[in-house]
Amino acid sequence: MQSSDILSTIGLEHYLVVSAILFAMGMAGVLMRRNLIVMMMSIELMLNAVNLSFVAFSKFNNNSEAQVMVFFVMTIAAAEAAVGLALAVAIFKRFKEVNIRFFEHLKG
Amino acid sequence: MSADAFLFWFLSLLVLVSGLSVVLLTNPVYSALCLAMTMVGVSALFVTLNAYFLAGVQLIVYAGAVMVLFVMVLMLFDLKHETQAFTRGKITGAIKIASVGILAGLVVGAITIGKSLENIKAVADNAQAADTTKILSENLFLKNVFGFEALGVLLLVIAVGTVALSRSKGGTHAK
Repeated sequence: MQSSDILSTIGLEHYLVVSAILFAMGMAGVLMRRNLIVMMMSIELMLNAVNLSFVAFSKFNNNSEAQVMVFFVMTIAAAEAAVGLALAVAIFKRFKEVNIRFFEHLKG
Repeated sequence: MSADAFLFWFLSLLVLVSGLSVVLLTNPVYSALCLAMTMVGVSALFVTLNAYFLAGVQLIVYAGAVMVLFVMVLMLFDLKHETQAFTRGKITGAIKIASVGILAGLVVGAITIGKSLENIKAVADNAQAADTTKILSENLFLKNVFGFEALGVLLLVIAVGTVALSRSKGGTHAK
């Protein structure tokens, strides 16, 4: 009875679990991948996970502040993608490579 | 199983599988396409949460603008094959995977424990079934208008900064 209840009635915790797994995937991408562009894609994945949990809380607590926050997060994400990709283009033109294994000029 | 539940499980499966393939596929173009799929899935999940305006914005901003940016830059780089897609070192890789797994386990455990302690009721069942866009806009333009304007200024600064960055000496035009 309990398992069928979990399957058929979708509550806040379902969305939160999906969001947590998505965030963990993005974090794994940032930690494991070595391509600059794919790392930025993983950051976008994490931001989307956070947005999903914000919207889920907004619905289940009946509060619209969270949706405003999602709006702000989306804008910041777009700005971050623009700046990061401009940096990636600059790095690629200089090193002919987007694998972060080869960028050691900033290494201490 | 009701239509809502089926929709949720289908969409979450879509989002998780395509999100996993963003991380696992070694061709960056395939990663970008899977990321676009993830964005579309998250936008559909927003629709199931009655956030229609945010779903539209998600489609336009992420699946439209940001993904076009990513794919354009990937095409600019012309990455035929990728050497060393993943991090080297078995021990550090295992530590990274373990840390990610511990984080996910902690969060999921906290959610399930929180559910057993306090059963969060879905307040949204009876009240405001549909019209969250009007409430969102009132909140955005009456209470948070300063943040909204600050974001406008931020976007202007970012646009100028991006152009300056891509034209700077030592950047794209370095000899």
